[in-house]
Amino acid sequence: MNSVFAWIEQTPLSVFIREDFYFFFVVLIFHALGMALLVGGGLLIGFRTAGLAKQAPLHKFRGFFPVMWLGLTLAVISGVLLLISYPAKALTNPVFAVKFVCLIAAGLMVREIARRFFPVAAEGRELPPSARWFGLATLVLWIAGVTAGKFLPYTHHVLLVS
Amino acid sequence: MDPIIDIPALERFGIETGIFGLMNSKWAWPVAESVHFLGLNLLMCSVGMFDLRMLGVGRGIPIMELHKLVKFGIAGWIMCAITGFLFVMTAPGQYLYNPAFQTKMMLMATAFANMVVFYATTAEALKSTPASELPFTRARLIAFVSLGCWLGVITCGRLITFFRPPYHWCFWCGA
Repeated sequence: MNSVFAWIEQTPLSVFIREDFYFFFVVLIFHALGMALLVGGGLLIGFRTAGLAKQAPLHKFRGFFPVMWLGLTLAVISGVLLLISYPAKALTNPVFAVKFVCLIAAGLMVREIARRFFPVAAEGRELPPSARWFGLATLVLWIAGVTAGKFLPYTHHVLLVS
Repeated sequence: MDPIIDIPALERFGIETGIFGLMNSKWAWPVAESVHFLGLNLLMCSVGMFDLRMLGVGRGIPIMELHKLVKFGIAGWIMCAITGFLFVMTAPGQYLYNPAFQTKMMLMATAFANMVVFYATTAEALKSTPASELPFTRARLIAFVSLGCWLGVITCGRLITFFRPPYHWCFWCGA
């Protein structure tokens, strides 16, 4: 696999992202802002489903989905660029897998909350007690995903380029 | 010797209190960074999303009901302030002379002034704004400033590690 990573790292795009005076940091900034919007919305829905701000009708939080989609789009585009710049560093690190499993699971949990509990809220009925666990699990998964991401620069063990 | 900021004294403080030693241990820095980011996320999910609600996103959610989550944003801010203090005391010169750090502090000061204006002039009136309606202009303006400041804080936070000559953009840095 390392030979594939090494090949990617020698492509002009990969070299450009790493070595341009500004580009890498512009990408990092967009990654941070995208994640802030995505995780901000995700945590908000997690808190509400876990039983906070009870007077706020849960299904109306659908309004925050476009913000989360915008955040996801920014995070994915910038994330792919970061991956192209240092594929070996990221893809040989097990923490990277942890980050992805947690964030994808968190996203799926939000979708599941929307499917199970939004219609209940729309009918004006009380949420079932299980909703609390969905909310708490969503909160834990978002936080675990972001924390794993934060540990990536400190846990990599393969670095083919500086 | 800087007449305004006594960097060596701050460095001594960092060393004598053990902050410098702690932060240079193997895992303290990444753990502190994770707490800092968790704090930022709490701030975004409560204050940031509250700002978006005031700007018209998520209509139908009673604004002041959403406001109940702002306490998590305050908790997040405290987490950021404590870990941020640890970062600065570990390498005061790298932060206090960094134009990105200076800009970040200015944006936070603006966000706080904006928050004071919000609670003094606007929070009470929002209670009677119907959940389905777009809030009045002053509320939207305050939300816009707040959201802009916090997104700017995140941007500047990333830029702090951008060790590149700031003369391209920092007009107060001098030649």
